[in-house]
Amino acid sequence: MAVSLQSRVTGIWAGLIVATGLSWQFGHGFGFGEKFHYATAAILIITFVKIRFVFLDFMELRTAPWLLRLAFEVWAVSVCVTLIGLYWLGV
Amino acid sequence: MNIRNQLICAWSAMGFTAICLAGFLFANFIPPISPNLSAEAVAAIYRENALSMRFGILLIMSSAGFICSFAAALAMQMKRIEGDLVPVFTYAQLGAGCVTTLVFVFASVFWTGAAFRPDHDPELTRMLNDIGWITLLMTFAPFIIQNIALGLCILSDTQAEPVFPRWVGYYNLWVAMLFVPGGLLTFFKTGPFAWDGLFVWWVPFAVFFTWYLAMCYILLGAIQRQAQAEPAAA
Amino acid sequence: MSSTSALPDSVESHLPGETGVWMFIIGDILVFSLLFSVFVYDRSQEVALFVEQQQLLNQTLGLLNTVLLLTSSWLVALAVHGARAGQLLRARGCFGLAILCGIGFVVVKYFEWGEKMAADLTIETNNFFMYYYLMTGIHLLHMMIGIGVLVFLWQSVRDTECDAQGVGVLESGACFWHLVDILWIALFALLYLMR
Repeated sequence: MAVSLQSRVTGIWAGLIVATGLSWQFGHGFGFGEKFHYATAAILIITFVKIRFVFLDFMELRTAPWLLRLAFEVWAVSVCVTLIGLYWLGV
Repeated sequence: MNIRNQLICAWSAMGFTAICLAGFLFANFIPPISPNLSAEAVAAIYRENALSMRFGILLIMSSAGFICSFAAALAMQMKRIEGDLVPVFTYAQLGAGCVTTLVFVFASVFWTGAAFRPDHDPELTRMLNDIGWITLLMTFAPFIIQNIALGLCILSDTQAEPVFPRWVGYYNLWVAMLFVPGGLLTFFKTGPFAWDGLFVWWVPFAVFFTWYLAMCYILLGAIQRQAQAEPAAA
Repeated sequence: MSSTSALPDSVESHLPGETGVWMFIIGDILVFSLLFSVFVYDRSQEVALFVEQQQLLNQTLGLLNTVLLLTSSWLVALAVHGARAGQLLRARGCFGLAILCGIGFVVVKYFEWGEKMAADLTIETNNFFMYYYLMTGIHLLHMMIGIGVLVFLWQSVRDTECDAQGVGVLESGACFWHLVDILWIALFALLYLMR
């Protein structure tokens, strides 16, 4: 049990590093070319997906009481949407 | 261990909150006078509302002493956690709470200095106004020591029936965190870290006064439990 | 959260650490959400300035710090799992490495700030750098507290047989460290990456 959980945590870590690399690339013109505001939206979404996995697997909300998990999922989605919305004000 | 005297001091938090908030309203300090205003504009505010501001500032001054009596009531319950021998968090909290009184006293003194002769040089009025706001909002040091001492004391409680619920300890540590940005007002005239900004005024202001209301309620519960546990004390 | 115990998934459900720590985490996260929103809103009012000033940041150091923090968070998660499985030596080693990553983060931040100040970019230069110093500064304060917490956990793994209560303490401290990680993940995107 413990071993499989530990390898899961390691997998999540690798995923987080890859996601960081990907969002770095988006921040430097990869993928979206001149449409940098789409790149920014993608960066913000990747960021909150990363945060979600830290919540679920590092902070172990996956097995926490569902209300707490729901609260953090709702928080992640709503802050992500809010930030993209506020960002779009300036586009 | 006089329960009635403790209750009187615990309720002084309500006195503080009500009188102090009324003072801020009369003084027209919600929202604060912007640090970005010209000397003329600040002087005009003091000139046009002199009477109401003097009265409001007087109320703020009157409320300040209750902070001491409330800190003393908190200290009595903290002493039940720490015991009579080494009540060090208790003293830290009491000392820092009493210094908080001085924050309100001195802020009122400086504002009164500005409102006392509204016809003097606008530069002087603005300087006194500045010092008043800086005294009130930059002085996070005593606030956070009061909260941290109380928080750590509550978290160190190992009794089977703790004096305060454990979460109150974490609540106090969180509150301490929110006062820290006050120190940043020294750098800014505008924006969220100026003294009329979100993180120096609005958040700490709301957190500060709700802390008094919440801690009053929590403290009354603790005193009630003490009265039940030690009936002879009442 | 005891009110949820009547619900179907309660057999497996487990709240890591104590309830009070979660109240602190939620409170802290709400304040930071507010700070993030204010930043992005102010940015939208002066996009040209923010984009131009952002070019002056050292992106490589930002990336390095992100990798350091993600790694330390991973090590802390491993340490907690290890302690639960009774592998105390391993848990202690993981906490030790996580502390080193944390110190590495602070050292990188020191050089990063030093570089900016040497170039005369200070908290009063413009709104972008105001937010840069404030947000990284408030985060750094969390880092310092977090490193203190990790040192405490590292100590306590040595001193105690890890019973249920001991693991609870580890979980509480670990969650605070993950919070510090989460805040940085967001700050990295907001300050260094978004265009």
